[in-house]
Amino acid sequence: MSEQLTEGERDVLRELLNLGQRVPTSQLATNLNQGEERVISILNSLASRDLVQIHTREIVSYALTDEGKEYAESGLPEVILFDGVKKLGGKASFDDAAASSGLDQKTKGIAMNWARRNGWLQISKEDNTTVLRVLVDTPESEVADVLVRLSMGKESVPKTDSLKLSLERKLVSEIVTKKFEAEIVGSKIGEAEHLLSVGVKGIGDLTPEILTSGTWKEESFRPYNVDIVPAYSNYGKKHPYAEFNDWLREIMIGLGFTEWFGPYVETEFWGHDTLFVPQDHVSREVQDQFRVGAPFDHGDIPDRKYYKAVKAVHENGGNTGSKGWDWPYSEEVATRLCLRPHTTPVSMRYLYEHREGPQKMFIIDRNFRSETLSARHAQEFNQCEGIIMDKGLTLRDLVGYLTSICNAVGIEKLKFKPGQFPFTEPSVETFGKHQKLGWIELGGSGIFRPEVTRPLGITDTVLAWGIGSGRLYMAAMGINDIRELYSRDLNWLRRSHFITR
Amino acid sequence: MIVESRIDDLLSLIGKKLTIDQLEDTLFLIKAEVEKVEGNIIEIEVNPDRQDMLSTEGIARAVRSFLRLETGLWDYPVKKSGKQILVKPGLSKIRPFICCSIIKGVPADDELIKEYMHLQDALTSTHGRNRKKASIGLYVYDDLQFPVIYGPQKPEKIKFKPLGYEFDMDGPTIMTDHEKGVEFGPIIQHHKKWPLLYDSSDQVLSLPPIINSNDLGRMTTETKNLFVEVTGTHLLTVHQALNIITASLAERGGKIESVTVVYPDGSTEETPNFKPEKTSLSIEDIVTLIGLDLTGEQIVEALERMGYGTKLSKTNQVQVLIPKVRMDILHAVDIIEDIAIGYGFDNLEPAMPQTMTSGKVNSVTRIKNKVRDLMVGIGYHEVMNYVMTSPEILNDKMLRDQPMITTENPKSRNYSVLRNSLLPILLEFASQNQHADYPQRIFEVGDIAIPDESMETRVNQVPSVCGLVTDVKVNITKLMSEIGFLLRNLGLDDRFEFESIVSTDFIDGRAARIVIDGEPWGTFGEVSPKILSNFGIGYPVVGFEIIMPRSTDWID
Repeated sequence: MSEQLTEGERDVLRELLNLGQRVPTSQLATNLNQGEERVISILNSLASRDLVQIHTREIVSYALTDEGKEYAESGLPEVILFDGVKKLGGKASFDDAAASSGLDQKTKGIAMNWARRNGWLQISKEDNTTVLRVLVDTPESEVADVLVRLSMGKESVPKTDSLKLSLERKLVSEIVTKKFEAEIVGSKIGEAEHLLSVGVKGIGDLTPEILTSGTWKEESFRPYNVDIVPAYSNYGKKHPYAEFNDWLREIMIGLGFTEWFGPYVETEFWGHDTLFVPQDHVSREVQDQFRVGAPFDHGDIPDRKYYKAVKAVHENGGNTGSKGWDWPYSEEVATRLCLRPHTTPVSMRYLYEHREGPQKMFIIDRNFRSETLSARHAQEFNQCEGIIMDKGLTLRDLVGYLTSICNAVGIEKLKFKPGQFPFTEPSVETFGKHQKLGWIELGGSGIFRPEVTRPLGITDTVLAWGIGSGRLYMAAMGINDIRELYSRDLNWLRRSHFITR
Repeated sequence: MIVESRIDDLLSLIGKKLTIDQLEDTLFLIKAEVEKVEGNIIEIEVNPDRQDMLSTEGIARAVRSFLRLETGLWDYPVKKSGKQILVKPGLSKIRPFICCSIIKGVPADDELIKEYMHLQDALTSTHGRNRKKASIGLYVYDDLQFPVIYGPQKPEKIKFKPLGYEFDMDGPTIMTDHEKGVEFGPIIQHHKKWPLLYDSSDQVLSLPPIINSNDLGRMTTETKNLFVEVTGTHLLTVHQALNIITASLAERGGKIESVTVVYPDGSTEETPNFKPEKTSLSIEDIVTLIGLDLTGEQIVEALERMGYGTKLSKTNQVQVLIPKVRMDILHAVDIIEDIAIGYGFDNLEPAMPQTMTSGKVNSVTRIKNKVRDLMVGIGYHEVMNYVMTSPEILNDKMLRDQPMITTENPKSRNYSVLRNSLLPILLEFASQNQHADYPQRIFEVGDIAIPDESMETRVNQVPSVCGLVTDVKVNITKLMSEIGFLLRNLGLDDRFEFESIVSTDFIDGRAARIVIDGEPWGTFGEVSPKILSNFGIGYPVVGFEIIMPRSTDWID
């Protein structure tokens, strides 16, 4: 270690001398207009010279967990259940009481358990149904008091049994923060004063003048504190999910696939008809798919010849060897506009332009389904869609490609299930093992039906799949809430990172 | 579609003791998934193509075959009852088809009745397309006087006690007062006459596809013999629905009898008809599609595990009998899939195909990625937002009046239109992150959708880049030099200029248009305080948005 003090060490030591007593590091940091972390790390370096002594104090505070916050806002489930039973006349079946108080599957069990333990409700079996009876007038819960106190921003609560219970129920979490205090070692005050009295020696900033004149050869350099952990800072970077999709794109290109493009707004002709989805199929209904209503609600049929071939397949199978749907085909439905529910129309647009094998195409892009946003579903999701067209391709080849894509992003455990999609036969559903969620469905795939390929004059086999890139990201990275993919929390994004082997 | 079964009942129909895990693994291999197990109740998700598995009986039948407890064609003996259904003229444009069956000796307890009703509901809502194509009615056979008549009737002349009511209603009243009338009325309401099913002593069986009679159409635990009718607008669908429900009741031990449907032109049809359809497949086609070197014997074994009848012929062909409860067999490939399932998806070894092609990134992705790299280099943080947003964000808060793609059936107004610009989206993002450290420098590269009548789908979808800086103090000169850096590194040096403009987006005197090769491609400026207050943003903001070409316009 250098004999001299660094600039930073001098500042801290001088301030400690001025204050002449034991002070919290936070106060030192404020006085010196420095980050506390930096000050602590300088103090550590002074402590290693035995100039300074650092004391640690642990401060315990409490905060509500997500579950605790929910209950603080809407009430404890056992109270809600109790009120529900009371409202139903003081006696009700468990299911009725849970349903009328709006308790979901998960919380209703918790509610019954605690209402029983608190002695508020009696539970008995009658005719194979669980019946609840009110035992007290008003439910009094000290746990609720704890939650309310904390929700009002108080971090200190008396160490009571109810606090203990809240901790056990994971409604409240304990936060231990370490506070540091520092002082100059009594016997070293003289030494400290001496060190500070010695003027700063050596070169601070190395300037062009010093370099030109060569004076650096005679002088020493002032030391800097280079063993400090730097503070958090924000620079430009990419979104982690976007980086995952970039990675997936790289994998697809590595496997020899060409990236293609298709629009968000499609006619149902491309969205469903070319894929042999019957015109009265449920997936076209308003509860499943977004219809576009304004400013325009219908589009064009660009190629009448292809249109006629698709129409014939729907009505009677055309020349594909199929029976078709035996149902009249409507141009009004075909030209209706929708937000594409999957990227498969992009595959059809590609095949329309590339009818000779071999071909390999992919796209990673958005799709839309009329869903309410939740942990498992979003109204928008990215799909990694791919097709391979060649002679002699088989179901085993399809499973092979799916395996190599999933393995490439680090999902090793896979299983395949026979599936069903109107446009593929055979159809395969791929499941991947998620660290927390267990087996999750990654996507659908199959071999395009003759009803899909023959109208384009294609006789080669076409393997096709659509893997949810969001699902893949979740399985590969161990994320369990789909809403994190489109997180609007800048703090979270700044802390997050994407890294892979 | 979810089928709810009692586990003990399901296992007794299967005829073998299985653990839940064994059951789950077996179901997985035949396209069904266990959703939930609670006590004796199991919820099984069935794929919509397998209408024949929409009941406990159907699932048990499929499992039994797959486990080789009983292989070969799913067939049901039918005895002629000699009873007739007379179809009156005048239904051809309303609901022309009817198929019926009689099942005698059906076991009925409360649980079973609930399950039969559930199957009836599931079949009519999916396969019957919410009763439009086909609807089903079950009646107490012993209460009926044959022949049963199916004919058109004036709505006001229809009079019977609909299910769940103890008093008569006429046709129009059922449509307004009965919940099923309100729900399904639109299927027949626009016709002058409605289809009515009644027997020889003028008792009404039902008003298809709306509601059964409360007297004849109510099955109880006393019911032994059932009359089943399916009416509809599509003969094949009607036949299939009848076959599936009849077979299910027969799986419970019922004996099937057929009836003769007599149409107004004198033609007759004996229903139900379980005579399997015959087809033949070449072994070569099968092997080629699955990619396994299967022998004729292995193919036969696989088919027999899936409920088909089979025979090998010498010419490398397999003769196949398709069971009549399957309605999803449209093409030879459908049978080949069943061979793969019968062989077992767990036995499929992945192979790696030799198809050699060279991969390539799309040129638009290339320019997007170039822009993203440059933005990160300048020090912006990438964000990703939904393409769907709200008219409030795009127009109201922005004081804009731009056309936008609007959906007819949004689940929420917050996600009801497609974004036509990124600046409002990033302002919304900033408004939600005012607690985060400053400065905040964010950007997004993504597509926006602009209505355009000349396009095939009436939309011009273009990539766009938007950058935004917010801090206690912002600096438009710095922003301008950043935009300059971006454009010059896209090869646009000497080809772009900034022209000052007046725009409601920005503060007057601090707004400009970005012009490339004489064409407007974007704007930048310091966001107007009016807009900031609409978004509830408490810090000043400068930002820019540049549309990027979908073609390679910018590249020389």
